[in-house]
Amino acid sequence: MEYIIEVEDLNVYFDELHILKNINIKIPKNAVTSLIGPSGCGKSTFIRTLNRMNDLISTFRRDGTVLLDGENIYNPKVDVVNLRKRVGMVFQKPNPFPKSIFDNVAYGLRVHGINDKDVLAQKVEEALKSAALWEEVENILEKSAMGLSGGQQQRLCIARTIAVEPDVILMDEPCSALDPISTTKIEDLIHKLKKDYTIIIVTHNMQQATRVSKYTAFFLHGEIVESGKTDQIFLEPTDNRTEDYITGRFG
Amino acid sequence: MEKRHPRILFRKRLKELRADVEQMGKEALSAYRDSIKVLLKYDEEKIKRIVETADKIDEMNYNLEHKTLSVIASEQPVAGDLRFIETCIKVGGHLKRIGYLASNITEVAKKIKDEEVPEKPMDDIIHMADIVENMVSKSLAAFLGQNMDIARELRRDDDKVDDLFDRALKDITQSMFDDQETISYLVYLLFLARILERIADRAENIGDRTIFMITCKKP
Repeated sequence: MEYIIEVEDLNVYFDELHILKNINIKIPKNAVTSLIGPSGCGKSTFIRTLNRMNDLISTFRRDGTVLLDGENIYNPKVDVVNLRKRVGMVFQKPNPFPKSIFDNVAYGLRVHGINDKDVLAQKVEEALKSAALWEEVENILEKSAMGLSGGQQQRLCIARTIAVEPDVILMDEPCSALDPISTTKIEDLIHKLKKDYTIIIVTHNMQQATRVSKYTAFFLHGEIVESGKTDQIFLEPTDNRTEDYITGRFG
Repeated sequence: MEKRHPRILFRKRLKELRADVEQMGKEALSAYRDSIKVLLKYDEEKIKRIVETADKIDEMNYNLEHKTLSVIASEQPVAGDLRFIETCIKVGGHLKRIGYLASNITEVAKKIKDEEVPEKPMDDIIHMADIVENMVSKSLAAFLGQNMDIARELRRDDDKVDDLFDRALKDITQSMFDDQETISYLVYLLFLARILERIADRAENIGDRTIFMITCKKP
């Protein structure tokens, strides 16, 4: 199996708080990996270490390595803007910019120096099609993104992320603010996208984890208790703590 | 430590499923015991009750399926809980079948009630029937108690029943050769041996499902 991300002995601290403890995990390429675990267990902190979003927090410290395609992303020589182009992120609440639909998707492209109108138009269309939003917005591209529904806004955010052609897409509870139909659309989209991208999704919805992901890791108190194939985790977990969590005995 | 959320309603529903299977098991075991009694001492009233019990277990099995589907749809169980629910459905199916097989034994009882059955094949049958009764009882204990040891014993018991079945076939056919007049009713004894062997298989299967429920592996 080919792994795109390899995390070795990762520890993360905010001030004196030891948030992630000795994390070791390999993320398979072009597959969906779910991260599950109770609130405060470190899932979000973990995915934020994968594109160095935690660097923005002054009290953040870490040791251990995160390899992206074999290269340590915490190497001082790494260009963080370029890293975040390769490892994109979609958040819990849709956060479109207060701009037009077109400009939202074109934003990252422009940041990365693409200004040719035709190229932009083509890439925006491709991204919106990939995000299964094109047919709903092709005639209103110049309208404000803020007028879209929550589900459409979330797909727009996914379009914005994939416009810059990342390798990895991090999704932090991307459906928790959406209604069931919009959730289904995002899940269908995840299925479609895994062909071209590696997706890591944080979810509190166990059924969503079983539906969308091939691999699952269970976090508890900043540690990975168990990780492996989703089928195995949800059918025959090996650790009692995993069983207790997924069957709802605590959380 | 996280706050404990025991999912009270869900746990209650799982307990109910277990109680339903237990009740079906009691009914099936009692129908089986009575069917063997009827074989030794013909009793019309008892036969009527056995046939009714078989239908009742069938009805209970449908109810059990309704309940399990409803629990799956509303509670979306996983892991051990999901395996338990799946096993309830499977065990329910086996118990229903045991009920009807007990009812089939009464058909045999009707056919042989006035006949002088030779001692040897009848002894084989009674011996088989004893082991089978014990197996049905053990299979319920294995499932309800999630007991792997008892479940494994059932595999050995089933081998014994298979051996006895072979011996019964031999003794029955020998009796047929000895006295051709007996063929007309001894043929029902062959059916009976077959029915007992099938009940033993069902009991063994309940044990196997229990092992799968606990280990998620084929026994």
